[in-house]
Amino acid sequence: MSAVDYPVDEDEQTLLERIQDEPGPALKLLAVVVPLFAVEFGAVASLVMSLPWSAVGSALPGFLQGLAGALAGVGDALANLPTLLSRSVIDNSGYQLPSGEWVGTTLGLSPAVAWLLRVLLVYAYGFAWMAVGWWVYLVYRDNYRYADWAPVDDMVNRFRNHSWGLLGLAIIFAFVVLALFAPALGPTTVEANISDPYLHTVEYFDEEAGSVQEIYVGDANRDSQSRGQGGDNVGPLSYDQFGRFHPFGTLPSGKDLFTFMAAGARVSLFIGVLSLLIAGGIAVTFALATAYYKGLVDLGVVIASDSIQSLPQLLFIMLASFVLSGTWLANLYSGGVVLALLFGFTGWPGLWRAVRGPALQVSEREWIDAAKSFGQRPSVTMRKHMLPYVVGYLLIYASLTLGGVIIGVAGLSFLGLGINAPTPEWGRAVSAGQPYVPTQSWHISLIPGIMVVIVVTGFNALGDGIRDAIDPQSDVGTGQQDESAAAGGGA
Amino acid sequence: MAADANATGVDERRSSARQTQSDDVDAAESADDRLLEVENLRTVFHTERETIRAVDGVSFGIEEGETLGLVGESGSGKSVTARSIMGLVDDPGELLPGSSVRFDGRELTDLTEKGYESVRGSGIAMVFQDPLSTLNPVYTVGNQIEEALSLHRGLSGIDATEKAIELLEDVGIPDAARRVSEYPHEFSGGMRQRAVIAMALACDPDVLVCDEPTTALDVTIQAQILELLSDLQAEHGLSILFITHDMGVIAEVADRVAVMYAGEIVEQAPVVELYENPRHPYTRGLLRSIPSTQQGAERLETIAGEVPTPNKAATDCRFAPRCPEAFDACEEVHPVPVPVEEGAEDHTAACLLYPEDEPRKAAVDRHAAAGDEDSPESAGSTGGDSR
Amino acid sequence: MSRWSYFARRVLLMIPIVFFGTTITFLVLRMGPMDPAAAVIAGAGDTEAYESVRQSLGLDQPLWLQYVEYLRDLFTLQLGYSWVVNRGRPVWELIGVYAPRTIWLGFWAVMLPLFIGLPLGFYAGLNPNTLSDYLASFGGIVWRAMPNFWLAVILVSVLTQSDQLFGFDWESWLVQTQIVTPPELQRLWVPSNFLAAFKAILPAALVLGSASMGNEMRIGRTAVLETVNENYVETARAKGVPRRTIISKHVFRNALIPLVPIITGEAFLLLGGSVLVETVFSINGLGYLFYSATINADLPLVGSLMFFFILLSVGINILQDLLYTLIDPRVGYGGEGA
Repeated sequence: MSAVDYPVDEDEQTLLERIQDEPGPALKLLAVVVPLFAVEFGAVASLVMSLPWSAVGSALPGFLQGLAGALAGVGDALANLPTLLSRSVIDNSGYQLPSGEWVGTTLGLSPAVAWLLRVLLVYAYGFAWMAVGWWVYLVYRDNYRYADWAPVDDMVNRFRNHSWGLLGLAIIFAFVVLALFAPALGPTTVEANISDPYLHTVEYFDEEAGSVQEIYVGDANRDSQSRGQGGDNVGPLSYDQFGRFHPFGTLPSGKDLFTFMAAGARVSLFIGVLSLLIAGGIAVTFALATAYYKGLVDLGVVIASDSIQSLPQLLFIMLASFVLSGTWLANLYSGGVVLALLFGFTGWPGLWRAVRGPALQVSEREWIDAAKSFGQRPSVTMRKHMLPYVVGYLLIYASLTLGGVIIGVAGLSFLGLGINAPTPEWGRAVSAGQPYVPTQSWHISLIPGIMVVIVVTGFNALGDGIRDAIDPQSDVGTGQQDESAAAGGGA
Repeated sequence: MAADANATGVDERRSSARQTQSDDVDAAESADDRLLEVENLRTVFHTERETIRAVDGVSFGIEEGETLGLVGESGSGKSVTARSIMGLVDDPGELLPGSSVRFDGRELTDLTEKGYESVRGSGIAMVFQDPLSTLNPVYTVGNQIEEALSLHRGLSGIDATEKAIELLEDVGIPDAARRVSEYPHEFSGGMRQRAVIAMALACDPDVLVCDEPTTALDVTIQAQILELLSDLQAEHGLSILFITHDMGVIAEVADRVAVMYAGEIVEQAPVVELYENPRHPYTRGLLRSIPSTQQGAERLETIAGEVPTPNKAATDCRFAPRCPEAFDACEEVHPVPVPVEEGAEDHTAACLLYPEDEPRKAAVDRHAAAGDEDSPESAGSTGGDSR
Repeated sequence: MSRWSYFARRVLLMIPIVFFGTTITFLVLRMGPMDPAAAVIAGAGDTEAYESVRQSLGLDQPLWLQYVEYLRDLFTLQLGYSWVVNRGRPVWELIGVYAPRTIWLGFWAVMLPLFIGLPLGFYAGLNPNTLSDYLASFGGIVWRAMPNFWLAVILVSVLTQSDQLFGFDWESWLVQTQIVTPPELQRLWVPSNFLAAFKAILPAALVLGSASMGNEMRIGRTAVLETVNENYVETARAKGVPRRTIISKHVFRNALIPLVPIITGEAFLLLGGSVLVETVFSINGLGYLFYSATINADLPLVGSLMFFFILLSVGINILQDLLYTLIDPRVGYGGEGA
């Protein structure tokens, strides 16, 4: 980010040269980063491999498919490297003997404790990365940056004193870690518990038979359903009769809600981030172009964006995703890619409107005229002199919009559109639990809903914090963008 | 309370309207009879970290028909003084006990918000610095003048509109009948300030507090507004408290000048006396830093450093760190306003160098003793510091 | 007057917007990967049926001609017929049946926040940093983060169980109404009918208006806080205007300016939100009609409804500009308020 704030001139030293001059702090940093990365290298590889490469592969022409296959092999091999945060390091699957002793779990801990330890480990690891990120900033600022002071320092300081923004950051951190490390965080995995329950088995101690039995997960799920009546409920923080721990209870189908939520977080985050990259890219490009050229260009974009905004976003996405439902695009990431594209292409007008003002403001500054006067190319002027100013504002609305996209996607899934089953999505859990809200199986609808509220509040708080950090004088005039950004099309 | 030892400092340049009043003033020599009397005004603002003493023991008075110029750098507490007089100091600011603002013999600092409403406008009206933000953007200029007319003169409907047009004409707005129904954004900067002055006059005040009324305007417009103000003063017999940072402007409008520094008045004198014979080192510095065409290419002097933000009761001279004439005692004794020399009761300075005709040691002791005398009061006010 | 010519310009600008909005819909429907005719017959019919559908939809013509006819039909307000959901019924007739429920829902979803959220926000802004201020601010923040559909689900459950939960029965309270059913909108001028219709829509309207309520509370608070600190408020005080008049005359009108786009923007968002809320509360309104038209591949109906929505949104935009023009005299002057 600092490179944006301080474009390096030709005659200045490059960052690399500055590091060569004084390698100490950078090496120290590297000494921490490399092991931190190494313990999870396998997971990164498997994350890469978990992307829907097969769909991409099949779309490739034949001669490339072979190459893609080879790459996939290498990727899978890397993905299987042992990692610190894999499920086997602290294993929470096992069965309980009548004596109360747990077999199969790490150190014979109860599954709940084992799972909790793994969660703590994962979050500690995530936190370590955040600390490293902060450290990188400090090292760069103190040792390698050309300028002693940059505006971003003040922004960072203001944000550090913004407790509401920090709360938002903490919530978003928790959410992102949940999404990134979903496979390691769940008490079980999506494959084993949700998508292919009849390809996996669990062991449990059958008291009638008096011995350890093996059962298909699918069959076990059928006996651990949450349907509200009598015994058919596995609530939060409880075990089912197969010795499986369910931190959030189970779904009406008997599947584990926490695993579902963690995987759903990943889907939401993926759609949110991808759609924002699209919308943000378009918005910034247009904002810079309209602020630079003004006049007809501005009018053209006004009409384009108003036209898109005249379509009710949620309804239009509903329609467009239905029309696209038969295509190969709709199968990418269980429909997530289509949703991301649609949210991106319908979402840019809101972002553009939000950054248009700041872009116009900066375009009236004298340094823009100065750049024009010595014949700087428009693209360079925009990138070098206007973009850094606009990016901060984009971040504010990006944060707010992300919350909106999460609500929107959940709303579509609630209607049974959007993300295809069995890929988890939070809205579908709300929908599944709808009949059981007044019963003892209330957790199915309530927990996902509360999580949406917390996460969206987190994104809003983060946006508020960034705004106050960038522009302490900013005011209510920006209200409309806030409000529609965070609204998720009314879902 | 030597600061109040002001006499009738009437500038001979002033019009005859002034002259008639000066007789009254002479008759009523006692300071208490002055129209507006500010005494030991202390206004503090409580922030999370400290208590800012924006105005710290200011005393002055204004007689009928007189213009007192209050001058100082930005941050010296001029505007806070004006707002304190108007009762516009809100949380987190407050007037410390012992502060007194008397208007027409009536103590204002004891008034409730409700009671103040009867003084504001009709007794003391105010003209602010930025004429655009001073006018409510969503109402016509006429509407806002008529509001004052209905409050203070009981006019409404056609009568109010006619009076508003008349007032706009009085302040020199051409085509007033049409402009009365225009919105503030349709006025130019100078016209807006004229409209603001018309609005203040609509209240029919005795005292007009002008807080930097020309700062936001072009130089030519500035001169017009200043001229307008002195015409109106002659016509309505107004007393004016004129606040500015511009020594040049002060020379044109004021009868008497009070120089403010870091929340205190450091020198007070009739305008001619002050310009010809400035005593306080700060005033001298200020006057030397006025750009002047006569001085040609001569290098302008500046006062090094910045106005400090006082956050505790003064125990020294607040100007000492920037003062070219400071000596050891300046860091130990807090100067109080004293006559600059024997018999010069209308020219006071808060500086250990004065009274000039006393031996230095005696003068310092005099300041120190006055400060001790003050201490019961300041003990009460230091309570504000610990918060 | 310059602000009215500004307003006229804004209204003129709406024409290309309707045009392009409709064009986008055409692109999606006719040039997208889905064949409307095939979708209508859903693979059930034979080629003959398929051809006849194609013909009557005009799909056998060249694309540009389809486009011209599509636009001509819509702009002359010939919205055509439903093909699947309610076969053969004119779209206008369907809108006539479904729209009143959505309008009734939307009306209250705008009004309730306006009369609850906005006063609360103004109150909080006038009394900053008090307990009620913190409650209102925090409530506003959480309230607007709640997804409508989830809130609807919870509310339906709570209300159906109100007897067990709170010891009072919502359905029979005051007038007998059902919770998950469309409101009866006949003869609303009869007080008991009105009350029943209001009570029937109240939970849904509260849910649909929830985000607006939070926003208006939050933004109303900030707007008042900022306006109170404006110089003209100090000026008004300095000329002796009583506090009550300052607030009612000088503060509120200015504080309303930033709220105009919030309120109209929300009215527009209700269209999208109505799908979910109408589904949960089983209110057969426009949102629900659009949803069922979409999932049943009734693409001609979908296209016409979308055009209707575009008109609605443009209408709301014009209303917003009108309000702006009325409240803020600076509109159109030096680019402010644009």
